[in-house]
Amino acid sequence: MLNHAEASEKFIEDAERTTWHDETLWFVRSKRDKVSKLLPEWEALREQASQIKDHTLANLGQYLEEFEANAKKNGIIVHWAKDAQEHNEIVHSIISKHGGKALVKSKSMLTEECHLNDFLTKKGVEVVDTDLGERIVQFRNEVPSHIVLPAIHLKKEDVGETFHEFLGTPKGNKDPQFLTEAARQHLRGYFLGANVAITGVNFAVAETGEFVVCTNEGNADMGAHLAKVHIACMGIEKMIPKRKDLGVFLRLLARSATGQLITTYSSHFAKPREGQEMHIVLVDNGRTRQLARDEFRNSLKCIRCAACFNTCPVYRRSGGHSYHQPVAGPIGSILAPNFDKSANVDLPFASTLCGSCSNVCPVKINIHEQLWFWRQDLMKDGLAPLGKSLSMKGMAFVFSNPTIFKMAGYMGRMVMRFAPFIVNNSLNPWFKQREMPEAPKESFQSWYKNRK
Amino acid sequence: MSSRSEIFGAIQALEKREIAHPGDFKSYKATQDVVGDFKNSLSIVGAICVDAENKQEAATRLSEIYPDLQRYTSQDVVANGLDLEAVDVLEIDGMFGVAENGAIWLSDQFLPNRVAPFICQHLVIYVAKSEIVATLHEVYERLDGNYADFGLFLSGPSKTADIEQSLVIGAHGARSLTVILV
Repeated sequence: MLNHAEASEKFIEDAERTTWHDETLWFVRSKRDKVSKLLPEWEALREQASQIKDHTLANLGQYLEEFEANAKKNGIIVHWAKDAQEHNEIVHSIISKHGGKALVKSKSMLTEECHLNDFLTKKGVEVVDTDLGERIVQFRNEVPSHIVLPAIHLKKEDVGETFHEFLGTPKGNKDPQFLTEAARQHLRGYFLGANVAITGVNFAVAETGEFVVCTNEGNADMGAHLAKVHIACMGIEKMIPKRKDLGVFLRLLARSATGQLITTYSSHFAKPREGQEMHIVLVDNGRTRQLARDEFRNSLKCIRCAACFNTCPVYRRSGGHSYHQPVAGPIGSILAPNFDKSANVDLPFASTLCGSCSNVCPVKINIHEQLWFWRQDLMKDGLAPLGKSLSMKGMAFVFSNPTIFKMAGYMGRMVMRFAPFIVNNSLNPWFKQREMPEAPKESFQSWYKNRK
Repeated sequence: MSSRSEIFGAIQALEKREIAHPGDFKSYKATQDVVGDFKNSLSIVGAICVDAENKQEAATRLSEIYPDLQRYTSQDVVANGLDLEAVDVLEIDGMFGVAENGAIWLSDQFLPNRVAPFICQHLVIYVAKSEIVATLHEVYERLDGNYADFGLFLSGPSKTADIEQSLVIGAHGARSLTVILV
């Protein structure tokens, strides 16, 4: 598997596409700025959301119990899964009881995290992703590159090609309106015929035992209201205490995510409809482990808006696939080491630590600080690549020794002035896509001493 | 040990932390003209807004907006969700309108079927001007204790921008939304 830097290198080979990706996501970030500034209480809402989540995480056991009791009272069947494997088995056992061979699924990052599609496909179940972006990447045998905009790494020409191959649209047609209509017709058939629908969960309300699912396309509802069985999959951190708290989160979510005032549909599911079976699968999969870590606990406050993706200078220029995780971007980089430290050791380093992610986060997660905490944690565990730990040790030695520091500075200036080819070559990663700076004649220290 | 008790066991093993809930959010009263703001939000989210004095006027406007299409009301359509596939224009009642975002609260008590607002080709919602509030918070306050088995905020026609961020109206749900203010 390529690490983040290697995968990014591939992504930026196409300079034009990289620029398009960068500018498009920045445009989404700008829309977020615009709508958030229309609300005088924006900062108060962020603070409120942050405090509600802090409170919920401190009392998670109590709220999960309350939610379970109320959901059961509502006639919902509640399941608990300690890990991805158990989650997938629970979902599969429900499907096989109903003899379903095809099911419709709306967006759920949890099912991506659990690799549910692979699991079910191997068991002979056809999973049809119904979010347009997810359907596109599913046809292409790819994974989403962004949690809100799954196909943002693709151009309309790519989608046109894919639809020509899988849906028989005319070759060369790349009109978004036309292609969306083709997907609408194609997926309606599945909606009308599916026995089982799977959705994610944006918020679960302890007080009422209901859960809220937000979409713009209406695909979650088309699936859930037509199928005989609705399975909603959620991580245990999606809990909020009261129904009135929803107002805070629904005001923040879409504004942060896409700069919309609210998603087109914010559906509140409390009870199954007459004759329907409704299931909720509550999944831990490492969340209680993260809850026990003081420095990383509040990464569980995340509401998956992806504002941190859109603002991140590294994400915008490296693409979501370079993070080799279902959740990419800054938030993904602090969630991933919890699943597997050694497989994700590169991700906390895929950041400039500029802090923009923390500034836009609607629930005030200190993302850039946690990236830095993970770096320390991974270095202490000896997981950093040899080159990085050696160079860190070297730097520590030079910086703690004034004589050697002075000498190194002198040598650096001399090399850059008289033998620039030593640094201006492809062996030096800092030289890629960059001009090296002109070397100053003297150091700051000597300038300071000699000043008149 | 069941997974349920394993999960609860892991949570209970953590040190107890006292963090209070901040209480209900008090929104800043920023708008006096909720109807005007609601109309403005509707145009942002791509809905058509019609002011109508009475049912007669509404019907006239609707036949201009949807000429040649058969319109159904909640009373006309049967409860089978799949049959609604054939419905071109469906007229339903909304409970509350929200000025800040053009959302309309729909409760399944007033829907012929839960899938109705999604599966029809075009959707018409009647909203009383007296039931328009400034923010989402007011809706939850007004609904307090009255929990629908299924309810939703609906804001505009269904849409997607998944192909190169180009906005396309009419993804899987209704292709257009007309809101009639009465």
